[in-house]
Amino acid sequence: MARILVGDDSETILLLLRTRLEMEGHEVETAADGQEIVDAVHRAVAPPDLLLLDAMMPRKSGIEALRELRAAGIETPVLIVSAHTVAGDDSADRADLEIAGYVNKPIDFDQLFRKIKELTS
Amino acid sequence: MAQAYSRRRFRLSPSLANRLTIGFAIAFALLTGMAVIGVARFLDQRQEFEDATARSYQLEIEARTRLAEGRRPEAARAEVLAQQRRRRTLRDEIAGDTRDTALLVGAGLIAGLTGAALLFSGLIASMRRPLEDLVEASGRLAEGDLETRVKVGGLSETAALGAAFNEMAAELQRRAGERDQLDRMRDEFVLTASHELRSPLTSVQGFAELLMLEREMLTTKQRETVEVILDNTRHLVRLIDDLLDLARSDAGRLAIEPQPTEVESLIEDATRTMRAQFEARGQRLHEEIEPGLPQIEADGDRIRQVLVNLLTNANEYCQEEAETEVKARRMGGEVEIAVSDNGPGIPAQQLEHIFERFTRGDAGETQRVAGTGLGLAISKSLVELHGGAIEAESTVGAGSTFRFRLPAAASRERAEVV
Repeated sequence: MARILVGDDSETILLLLRTRLEMEGHEVETAADGQEIVDAVHRAVAPPDLLLLDAMMPRKSGIEALRELRAAGIETPVLIVSAHTVAGDDSADRADLEIAGYVNKPIDFDQLFRKIKELTS
Repeated sequence: MAQAYSRRRFRLSPSLANRLTIGFAIAFALLTGMAVIGVARFLDQRQEFEDATARSYQLEIEARTRLAEGRRPEAARAEVLAQQRRRRTLRDEIAGDTRDTALLVGAGLIAGLTGAALLFSGLIASMRRPLEDLVEASGRLAEGDLETRVKVGGLSETAALGAAFNEMAAELQRRAGERDQLDRMRDEFVLTASHELRSPLTSVQGFAELLMLEREMLTTKQRETVEVILDNTRHLVRLIDDLLDLARSDAGRLAIEPQPTEVESLIEDATRTMRAQFEARGQRLHEEIEPGLPQIEADGDRIRQVLVNLLTNANEYCQEEAETEVKARRMGGEVEIAVSDNGPGIPAQQLEHIFERFTRGDAGETQRVAGTGLGLAISKSLVELHGGAIEAESTVGAGSTFRFRLPAAASRERAEVV
């Protein structure tokens, strides 16, 4: 259905997201930190349909990676996965970086799938 | 210790007690001196007058003797008249002198008393200013302005008082600072802990859900096991969310973003979320929403959270087949939302503390009910943050009602007028 690039520093969460998203029929690529995300997007022949990024990752956070990608003209829709409960903690970032939405941990997959459908259809 | 410090520091500055003693001594000496001088002078003048009068009588008698003896009668007669005149003059003089002395003593006494009055009023004035400052500073301190200090100086007593006050204020400020720092550390800890706990919980819950997606392939025992894991994970997540909300609320950082919100869709959202749980226990859930309700000024997510909390309590504490009703109606400039059930009710002594943390139904109930004991405390914080109020009433055996009021949104009111 959609090509999704998932960034999270936890292997188990990457495995979980990959499994659930693939069960929904999506094509999934994973990255363990912000730099890998940037590299993966640049390496791909065409940018993915959606980025699903953890807000906090070592080395380069999801937000920093996104800032770089936006600066490079990549307009892929983005969902931020965050362990903070208040969605949109940083509304300035949200507008600047064109963040399409926030997903709180623990992940409500039904809600996540609905958002993915909205953003990729 | 503070006192010793103050005494050492201000030993050389003027003391009220010293000033009073010296003032009294000076006034007493002045007044006594004036009185003694006055009396002495009066007695002295009196003596002089009596001596002069006696001498005058002597001369007159001698003159009268010469007159009787017929020696130079003209001169003797003149002498008698002269002495009589002299005594009149002396009487006038003594009267004048006595008056002068009395005036002098009177003036001295008045001057002494005036001096004493000036001295004491000066002392009182020198105490009044620092005391007024202290009273005013105490008021500011009581109102929570811990920066408050007074100027130390003047009489040693008021200076000592001022220094003691400043030490007290500094100590209060130091303790408040320590407390604030501890609060910040605690908030920081709760935020970090909740953040760190969420990642592993995401995995546990996610993989348990993954297993449940394949439930047909599990044995009954395995399925029940996974359900237990999921139930407990959800409980843990709820506990973490609640603790985080409370920590935020304590830190004054529980933020809401109120905007005009439809009451009906809010209630329907909440009841939709809860319907499955009610049906699972064979309970009924009704809504009764007054038509034409104004919008409320509310953070939709947060008020939904309050409603879900109240509905969760009704769901979990009521027996099977109980009924719960959500009612919304207009109350002046506010909208009241009430969640009523016909469950077991809450005893009065528990109802009193129902909005406090970790207050839960009695032990028998809490074994069965999986609450955190934080839901109502958070609901209260959230409603109050919206400028509303929440209350509970209950009759044992008949049921409970939780109702809260929220302000109607201004924009809708204006729209209705237009």
